[in-house]
Amino acid sequence: MRLLRLYRVFFSAAVLFSLFLLIVVVGCDRPSDHVTIRFWNGFTGPDGRTMLGLVRQFNQDNPDVRVLMQRMEWPSYYNKLFVAGLGQRAPEVCVIHTDVLERFIQAGFVYPVDNFLKGEHGIDVNDFDENVWKAVEKESKHYALPLDVHPLGLYYNKTLFCEAGIVDASGNAKPPINQQVFIDAALKITRDLDGDGTIDQWGFVYTWFRTNVYAMMAQWGGPIFNNEGNTCLLNSPENVQALQFCVDLIHKYQVAPPPENYDAWIGFRQGKIGMAFEGIYMLADLEKQTDLDYAGSPIPKLGKVKATWASSHNLCIRSDLDEDKQVASWRFIKYLTDHSVDWAKGGQIPVRKSLRNSEAFHSLEIQNEFANQIPYVHYMPRVPYIFEFYSEFDLAIEKALRGSATPKAALDVATENINKVIERHKRLFSESRTHGDEQ
Amino acid sequence: MGMSNKMRQFTWSGYMFLVPYLLLFSSFLILPLIYGLALSFCQWEILSPAPPRFVGWANYQEALNSEYFWKAFWATFRFVLMAVPIIVSSALLISCGLNQVTARNRQSFYRAAYFLPTLISISVAGILWRWFYNNEFGLFNAFLADWGLKVPWLTEVSVAMKSIVLMTLWWTVGGSVIIFLAALKQIPDQYYEAASIDGAGTFHRFLYITLPLLRPVLLFVVVMSIIGSFQVFGQTFMMTRGGPELSTRVLVQYIYETAFTNYRMGYAAAMSWLLFLAIAVFSIIQFRLMRER
Repeated sequence: MRLLRLYRVFFSAAVLFSLFLLIVVVGCDRPSDHVTIRFWNGFTGPDGRTMLGLVRQFNQDNPDVRVLMQRMEWPSYYNKLFVAGLGQRAPEVCVIHTDVLERFIQAGFVYPVDNFLKGEHGIDVNDFDENVWKAVEKESKHYALPLDVHPLGLYYNKTLFCEAGIVDASGNAKPPINQQVFIDAALKITRDLDGDGTIDQWGFVYTWFRTNVYAMMAQWGGPIFNNEGNTCLLNSPENVQALQFCVDLIHKYQVAPPPENYDAWIGFRQGKIGMAFEGIYMLADLEKQTDLDYAGSPIPKLGKVKATWASSHNLCIRSDLDEDKQVASWRFIKYLTDHSVDWAKGGQIPVRKSLRNSEAFHSLEIQNEFANQIPYVHYMPRVPYIFEFYSEFDLAIEKALRGSATPKAALDVATENINKVIERHKRLFSESRTHGDEQ
Repeated sequence: MGMSNKMRQFTWSGYMFLVPYLLLFSSFLILPLIYGLALSFCQWEILSPAPPRFVGWANYQEALNSEYFWKAFWATFRFVLMAVPIIVSSALLISCGLNQVTARNRQSFYRAAYFLPTLISISVAGILWRWFYNNEFGLFNAFLADWGLKVPWLTEVSVAMKSIVLMTLWWTVGGSVIIFLAALKQIPDQYYEAASIDGAGTFHRFLYITLPLLRPVLLFVVVMSIIGSFQVFGQTFMMTRGGPELSTRVLVQYIYETAFTNYRMGYAAAMSWLLFLAIAVFSIIQFRLMRER
């Protein structure tokens, strides 16, 4: 008898639940008076909450558009996005990093925004820095609206600087601005604290080899590809010199720990490192470290010119939308860049000059220091085979920094392999062009 | 006559029972397998709009001439060579030990303890062990610091693969332990009693009774772990991403990157078939070596 009653309860619960589902489904299906925009990005960290806040605000301010945001992890994000594009199921709006943009442009997945720049919801492109705006351009069309720019900068430990006496007239820690001062400071901070014969406090440390070394190559002025983009010049003398300098910091000056035995960023957070080059996006992580007295500044001029690495999150519109969706998507991405000061608080720099002049941005000290570098930031080369380039580049500089190959030998091998990739791509795209002609 | 009719009906209904499985099996395994084989003879790079184009053996040729393919193959092979003997012999040892634990609930406790890691997904286990292995604040180096040691678990070329093997041992040994334990329970006690009366010690009893009677199960476990080890991916991908200096980039990771980062589907398919070939060859060798004589 009790069993029977239990069944009845279950049965009615099931019926009620199905009814509920039916109502929800029907409710969603009714002809809508708004345009729905799907928005994909990889902001899975704290930045995701900031972005979600902006999206909600947009939805509130714009009742005729509804944006649905979906987040996924960056490492697999581009695979999913590309495959979704192939299957014609890409989101209306998505975030694409500058270095990856080229392959999406080449595949025809993103729509140029130039038509929207003037008119009712227009935007003044002079508000972008020239190099940032140029980074989304191809054949005089612009394929995205940059949301932010995140350059590599210098983080330094103020306590260690003061202890080593690297201070200005008023006794504040003084970040280095050129090679000699940089090496001096690093030498002063590098110490064996407990006298056991091994160094346990380092002047400098490599964080992400890729960005750290690329910034140096930019400072030495080495080209990565020729102007036509069909020959790799990674082993040019300037790049070899830049990499040699990076290696020297470990092996000659001995102010940076060998990479095989050190967790760089953790070391900096623990206060055992004087200086590190990292992106502005690591600021949120540092702010959690309340016992660390740190500051930020532009990367010192270690090579021939001032330069650093940077990338941007760009807002892209899918290429095959009808006009309603296009306009709605444009309004949404413009709204995001208009409000990118809020976005910057999570460890980013707004891309528009007018916003960087605002009161709200001036109160963000380290962001301001890093932002000073924007006029001379270098983006990664824009090639469709960027990931194949990265695997060669990463391997070469890792070998050099670990001392298992000389900078010249490592870069020679990488250059040869990248040139093979270029050849393959040339063949592939000449084939696909003839295929296109047949159609 | 009626009898044979009945028989035919019976087999027919048997196939009907198999249909749901066969449908899934063929649509998710057989068809992709054939599709992959066809693809391995084609050039298909989805970065370009060109459709797949037949290129004969070109993909296989490229793989066999590629430094990266052989580097990945060698990394995989080194993993198999280290992981299989260590995992199988540890499993055998542990299960023999467990078999001696006579208190029933205590045995179930230990069995569960060894089996538990197998249930953890590789992403969780990988992240966990990456923290264990951390140079600066990892668990292992914290212990070793008392002896003034600091091991670069995942950051030194000569150490990284061994650390991966150690983690794999912890993660997968439980499955084999359960299988061995079940097999050990099948061996009748009389054999051991008789051997003891004849004066055989523990070691001889293990060598002349346990091992020969475990042979079929041993063969199964060895072959399965060779197949599994050749397909190693999650551990290296979660803990080292193939580094340092590609020393732990195994074949499956290289295939994954080729297909889903560089979008070279045909080339990736060809390498997958080469991997399949390698697994098949080593499994056949095992069967030959350990076949009942």
